[in-house]
Amino acid sequence: MSASDAASPGQPPPFEGLDTISEPVRLARYAVDDSLPTSAVLATGISDVERAMADASAAGLAVIPHGGRTMQCLGMPPQRYDTALDLSRLNRVVDYEPEDFTITVQAGMTLSTLQQQLAINGQLLPLDHPHFEQATLGGLAAVGRGGLRRNSFGGPRDWLIGMRMVQADGTAIKAGGKVVKNVSGYDLAKLFSGSLGTLGIIVELTFKLRPQPASDQIIAIGAPTLDDAQRAARAAANAAPFLNGCIALSADAAAEARALGARLLQDEPTIVLRANGLESAATEVLSHALSAIREVGVDRPERRTSEIVETWQAIADLELQTPNEHVRLRLGLPPANLVQAQVLLDGHLNNPAQWIIAADSGLLFVSTPRVDADTIARLRRELGPLRGRLTIESAPPELKSSVDIWGPAGAGARLMHNIKAQFDPQTALNPGRFVDGI
Amino acid sequence: MKTPTALVLDLIEAIGDDAVVWHDEDLLVYEYDGTIDRGNPDVIALPADTDDVSALIRIANKHGASVTPRGAGTGLSGGALAAKGGVIIGMNRMRRILSVDAENKTALVQPGVVNLDLGLEAERHGLAYAPDPSSQRACTIGGNIAENAGGPHTLAWGTTTNHVLAVELVTADGEVQWIGHDTRDEPGYDLVGCVVGSEGTVGIVTQALVRLVPRPSAVRTMLAVYDSVRDASNAVSAVVASGIVPAALEMIDKMTIAAVEPVLNTGFPLDAEAVLLVEVDGPESQVEAEGARVESILRRFEPREVRSATDHEEREHLWAGRKGAIGALGQIMPNYYLLDGVVPRTKLPDVLDAVYEIAERYRLPVANMFHAGDGNLHPCLLFDEREPGATARVLDAGGEIMRVCVDAGGAITGEHGVGLEKRDYLPWIFSEADMDAMKSLRAAFGPTENFNPCKIFPAGHGCGEAGHQHHAQQQIAKFGPKAFV
Repeated sequence: MSASDAASPGQPPPFEGLDTISEPVRLARYAVDDSLPTSAVLATGISDVERAMADASAAGLAVIPHGGRTMQCLGMPPQRYDTALDLSRLNRVVDYEPEDFTITVQAGMTLSTLQQQLAINGQLLPLDHPHFEQATLGGLAAVGRGGLRRNSFGGPRDWLIGMRMVQADGTAIKAGGKVVKNVSGYDLAKLFSGSLGTLGIIVELTFKLRPQPASDQIIAIGAPTLDDAQRAARAAANAAPFLNGCIALSADAAAEARALGARLLQDEPTIVLRANGLESAATEVLSHALSAIREVGVDRPERRTSEIVETWQAIADLELQTPNEHVRLRLGLPPANLVQAQVLLDGHLNNPAQWIIAADSGLLFVSTPRVDADTIARLRRELGPLRGRLTIESAPPELKSSVDIWGPAGAGARLMHNIKAQFDPQTALNPGRFVDGI
Repeated sequence: MKTPTALVLDLIEAIGDDAVVWHDEDLLVYEYDGTIDRGNPDVIALPADTDDVSALIRIANKHGASVTPRGAGTGLSGGALAAKGGVIIGMNRMRRILSVDAENKTALVQPGVVNLDLGLEAERHGLAYAPDPSSQRACTIGGNIAENAGGPHTLAWGTTTNHVLAVELVTADGEVQWIGHDTRDEPGYDLVGCVVGSEGTVGIVTQALVRLVPRPSAVRTMLAVYDSVRDASNAVSAVVASGIVPAALEMIDKMTIAAVEPVLNTGFPLDAEAVLLVEVDGPESQVEAEGARVESILRRFEPREVRSATDHEEREHLWAGRKGAIGALGQIMPNYYLLDGVVPRTKLPDVLDAVYEIAERYRLPVANMFHAGDGNLHPCLLFDEREPGATARVLDAGGEIMRVCVDAGGAITGEHGVGLEKRDYLPWIFSEADMDAMKSLRAAFGPTENFNPCKIFPAGHGCGEAGHQHHAQQQIAKFGPKAFV
C-alpha cells in the first residue's frame, strides 16, 4: 500500500506540501530489518512533524522516526512500516545559555556537533554513544541508555530537563522546562526517554550541562588474560569509586579499538581507566586505581595518552563494530556480579568475541557469530539470580523471528501496555518493535 | 460518642484497631501539612506491610472513599492533605532499612524510613545518600520519592529521581508490582522515572531500591558574609559560571538570620544582609585548590568576611543554621508560607529584587533561605493568620512571586511539588495539551477518580473551594494564562 492509496477518497493525499521521498532507491536507506517504507518525510521544522503525524494518523499509516540511524538495529522487526519520518534536518540550537549551563537543541542535531558548540564555552554533555558524529540527540534520548561512563554520569534521562514532543495524532506537547530542578507536573521527559519512539516524536531537548574538567586522563594497562583484566578492573572500581570510566577489553576488542584510533591500545587484554577533575585529583584517583590493579597481580606498565576524546570514542564505537551477521549482546547487572556473568556467557556462547566490560557500571557487550533461541533463554534463566538483563542489540532477521530481543518485560508490562494505549492508541509508532510486543 | 462507619470497621478488620485512627481529636494532626490549606480525612490507616497497603486501597475503593498517601507531612504544598476526605494511608510504620549492598552501592528501604536515618546508615558503609532535604530529620524516603525531593547537596549529585533505581508500587486498583531494576536495565519504559515526582498520584511506593554514592575524602564548607543581597547573588552566579560545581551553594538572608541566630547560635552576623554557604568536596588536593578558587570568587563581590569550616563539628554547626531555618521562623511570626520557585541561575539577582519588592508592597516580612546554586528560591512570607486579611495578602503575594519566576523562564516548583496549593497555576507553564498528556500517563496507572484527588492539575469538579483557590483564580485573571507555553 502506498501512502497516497491510504487516504480516503476525497481527502488530500497525506504529506502534501512536505518534503517527501517515494522512489524505492532513495527509500533504501530507511530500511529497518527487512522492511522498507513506501514514503519518507524529511521534516525541517516542528510544524512539519505535527503535519506528518496528523496526516499519518488520519490515513492509518505506521511511522518510524529516524535520526542518525546508528541504533536502528535495536528492536524487534516492525509489524507495520509505511512512513519513515526523518528528523536529521531538525538540527538547530534553539537556545543556549552558557552561564546557566543549559542548552535547548532540536532532535536531529548530532552529539558531536553539540559537543563542539559546548566546547567553545568550556562545557560538555557527559554522555557516550557510538558513532557520535552520526548519532542524533533525539535518537540518543529515544534509545535512552547510559553508556560506558554511566556509573559516573547516568544516562540521557539524568541530563534532560525539558523536552518537546509531537504525539501520534500530531499534537505538540512539552514537558519540564529550562531549569535544573523542577517538579512542576509529571516528568514526561523521563517517560519519552528510552521509549524507542513508540509514544511520540521527540523534536526538541533541553539538557543541563557540565563544565569541562581541568584535567581528563586515560591510562591503559595490559593484562595476560581477559579474566585478569576484568578482575583487575573490578578491583580498581572498588578502590577508586571516583573513576570516570573503568573498562576491561578483550585482546580482539583492544585491537579493533586501536584500528579505530585508540593508539594507546595493543592487541592484548587491557584495562582502560579514565579520571577527571583538577589535575592533582585525577592523578590521585588513577593512582588509587593502579595500586588496586597491582595488588591483584597485574603488573604490566601503564600507558598514557593525550588523545582523550579520540581514544574514548574509539572504545565507545566498538559497540557498533560487530562483524556482519554477528549477533551483539548487551548485559546490564549489578557490577559485583560482572565476573560471574562473564564466565557464564563465555561458557554458553559460541566463539564469543570483542568483550567490552564497564566494570564500574555493570555493563557488558559481547558478540558471537551465531546463537540460537534456546541458548538465549538458558542464559536469561541463569543470569536471573545475578540480576542480569540480557538484550540482543543487533541480529539477523532469522534470529529476531525466533527470540524476543528484549527479554521478559517484568512486572511492569501491564503498565507499559496501558501507557502505549494512552499515547498511541492506533499503534502507529514503531509498531511491535519494543518490549513485550509494544 | 462517635460510632465507627462501615469503612472504619472494614479497615480495622483488615489491619487491627491499633492501626486505624478515626476519633475526631486524633484526626486533627492529619488535617494540616504546614501550608495554608486544610483537608479533613475521615480515617487514618497505618499499614505494616505491602499487603496491608493493597488491602486498604481495595477497601477504600469498595466504599468509594478517596485515598491519600502521607509520609511525614513535610512537603509544604498540600500534597499530604486529604482534599476530599476519605482515608489517609500513613506510611510511618514501614520504616525499616532492609539491606545495604555496599559493593553495588544500593540500599533497599521501606518508604517510612527517615531520610537522615538512611544517610547515617549509608555513612556506616562509607557511602552517602545524596538527596538531603532541609527537613531530613523528619521527612521520609517515600515522601522524597513522591516529590522528587532535592536538598542542598543535590547541586552536584542531582535530585531524588537520579537516585531511585526500582520501587515496589501499589497502584490505585490495589495491584502490587516491582518496577525498575538495580542498574536501570529493565527493558521498557522508565516507569520509575514516571513515579518519582508524581506526588503520590499514581500509586503508593512500599519499597525502594536507592543508589548510594561514594563519600568524598575531604570537605570544606565556607561562609561568606555580604552587606547586600545583590552582591551575594552576583557571587552565586559567578561561582556557577566559573565551571566549578560545588557540592552545595546556599543563601540565607537577613530576616532568616534574625530568626535562626538567637535559637541556634550559628555565628551568622545579625547585621549582614545575606550569607552564602558554599561547600566543595572531593579528593584532598581538589578540595584545597577548588576551595581557594571559590574563595577568591566570593571575595570579588566584597564580602565582609569569608570563613572556612574544616572539621565535622564546625561544618554541622553551619549547616544547622541552614537546615533549621524554617523551624526558627516561628520566632518572628506564627505562620509562614513557603514558595518554591525555580529560575535560570543567571536570573537570580533580578528575581530576588522582585521578591523583596513584592513582599514590601504587600506589607509582608519575607525570609529567604534557598538553594542558590540550583536557582531554587524559597521565599517564606511571614504572617499571622489571626490577623484579618493576612492570609489573602500572603496568597496574592505568593502568586505574584510565582509569576515572576515563570516570566524569568522558570517554574512554579523545584522540589516541594504542585500539590493542592499550586495546581491552579500549572496553566502558567503548561498548555491544555501538555496537561492532557500528563493525565494520560496518570490514567495508565489505573482509576484516578478517588486516588489522591485534587492534586497537581487545576481543580476538577468535586474538589471544593480550597482555601486559596479564589485568590489563585484572581491572580490568573490578572496576568492571563499560558505565560511560558
